[in-house]
Amino acid sequence: MQPVLRTTSVGSFPKPPQLLEARGRFRRGEWSREQLAAAERQATEAVIRLQEDLGLDILVHGEMERGDMVAYFAENWQGFEESLPVRSYGNRYYRKPIVVGKPGAARSLTVDAWKAAQALTAKPVKGMLTGPYTICDWSFNAYYPDRRSLIRDLAAIVHEEAMALAEAGATYIQIDEPAISTRPEELDLAIEAMAVVTRGLNAHTISHICYGDFETIYPALLDLPVDQLDLEAANQGFQLLDLIARSPWPAGKELALGVVDVHSHGLESLASVKHGIYKALETVPADRLYIDPDCGLKTRTWDEAEAKLRLMMEAVHEVRQELAAR
Amino acid sequence: MKIALQGSYPKIPAGPGPSVRTQIQRFDRGLSGPRDLERTYREVTARVLNLAAEVGVDLTTDGQIRWNDAFDPIVRDVDNLYAEGLLRLYDNNFYFRHPVIRGRLAFQGGSLRYWTTLAAEVSRVPLKVALPGPFTFLALAEDQSYHHPERLLRDLIEVLQMERDSLTEAGVVEIQWDEPQLAQRREVDAQSVIDVYRSLLSEASLPQSLALYWGPRVHSWLEPLASLPWSAVYLDAVADPEVYAVLAAVSMPWTVGVGAIDARNVRLEDPEGLARQLEPVLHRQSAERVVVHPTSGLELLPPDRAEAKVRQLAAVRAAVDGTNPSRQSEGR
Repeated sequence: MQPVLRTTSVGSFPKPPQLLEARGRFRRGEWSREQLAAAERQATEAVIRLQEDLGLDILVHGEMERGDMVAYFAENWQGFEESLPVRSYGNRYYRKPIVVGKPGAARSLTVDAWKAAQALTAKPVKGMLTGPYTICDWSFNAYYPDRRSLIRDLAAIVHEEAMALAEAGATYIQIDEPAISTRPEELDLAIEAMAVVTRGLNAHTISHICYGDFETIYPALLDLPVDQLDLEAANQGFQLLDLIARSPWPAGKELALGVVDVHSHGLESLASVKHGIYKALETVPADRLYIDPDCGLKTRTWDEAEAKLRLMMEAVHEVRQELAAR
Repeated sequence: MKIALQGSYPKIPAGPGPSVRTQIQRFDRGLSGPRDLERTYREVTARVLNLAAEVGVDLTTDGQIRWNDAFDPIVRDVDNLYAEGLLRLYDNNFYFRHPVIRGRLAFQGGSLRYWTTLAAEVSRVPLKVALPGPFTFLALAEDQSYHHPERLLRDLIEVLQMERDSLTEAGVVEIQWDEPQLAQRREVDAQSVIDVYRSLLSEASLPQSLALYWGPRVHSWLEPLASLPWSAVYLDAVADPEVYAVLAAVSMPWTVGVGAIDARNVRLEDPEGLARQLEPVLHRQSAERVVVHPTSGLELLPPDRAEAKVRQLAAVRAAVDGTNPSRQSEGR
């Protein structure tokens, strides 16, 4: 029997207070890189244990070594400069990278963290990358004459990272493209770039997309060359599912559905999460429907993140039982 | 030729100095109180206004230092309007709280007038307030109550007018209606825009302007909107470079704003190059009726780059004066 309603998480987890303290000490020059890395490993283990305890099926490593999903790559690749912080919403800021030359990577950036996390569990841990379109869109371009040229070069580097993860043994590789709906007229460019990233990749591929105007890019988004689309839905009261229901869900494609809002402190009701799952099941078969939060959990406290995942799992267990009883 | 600032400005400093970000973090952790937070808002607002004065800006907003996003004061001042989940603001990596209408809109007022009055008291530069225009508001908000577009539009126009009128005594010299939605020109009928703005602009004691930005069809609105009584129309000439050609060819009946400084890219413009591009516009419109400004608010830039862009405005003006010495100090 096929597994149904497999559960996962999108990517980031909140950094525990000990790690925040360690990052502060490292920034101030009080701690060495090795001491910081030890704190990151400890925090990663806590992330893995939490997901195992809650019973998630496909795990993430929590991105304890990353500050921001784009800035992390820019900080470690050639061709970028770091900026002062820029606000993205509320009181959240990020250091928007500045492209000042051709991006390049001396070595794989993500494999070590993935290996360390995978060594902690028998369950699959996703390899986590940010897609070329989003890296371009969330950077200032002060070098290339046009976006296409920058995206093309970024796609080549992200492809190398993805190949390195697959070679290391990652069976699930997620390439996040939250900016993909930003300019509907560039969807073809984003799809083209993703084709470069996933070409010849021997792994289950996923792309997470959130907080955009899906209306403008759907159903063309289904052409994104990945096995699974991971979409936020709870944030807008599952309205996305009305859009998805307008056309048949394609065979061979999976949907990961966000069922808890990661930008609200409040905990959703069990009924609202189950409502979202059942609504998705009207369009997507249970064996191709995955359940996760709307987005990375790093903006929540540890307790809030745990509560949201626990609720998600409770809803999934109940729906699985109800489906089995039918 | 005048220079102006358009909307939001970074809430954090480029170097040492008060930071809204830090103060909110301290406040949230219980390390500071409401008075500390209020003092920081005032200090950061003053920093923005002082920069504008130092650079010689002719017209500015208060930097919207207290605003979470463009809809924030409207949500606070209008009953039955709620700030909900996060949505991306057009093609920016910036997210606003989705305004959701859950009942009939009614004006409560107070927040924006208070904030603006405080800013006007310390500003040495004439102050304007930038508010979301009705088309942008309706495109980005969600109606869960009216289910009748015309009734919603009627009420929206009234509450926006009431917000505008609440600022009459607040010390501002202009209300700027921001319409990035029109710059995108997504299925908006020109006649309905004219009709709505004819209604919105009526019975006002304050001058009112329009800002069109972040879209490729900015120039296409110049002819349809020419008959409306704007004090100024501010145009994003980076997203739509055709603005230069149109303004060089056709004399407009109001002050024209040329958004020549890119508010979304760190690359600094060449003042001499911009002066050359502006020359035909200044010739056609006459210099005293041309304002050069960033394409939009500068908060999408890091604070050091935002400040550099403000200073670049003065450099452009100096270059323009150098390009045509007969215009030196004209319109200043």
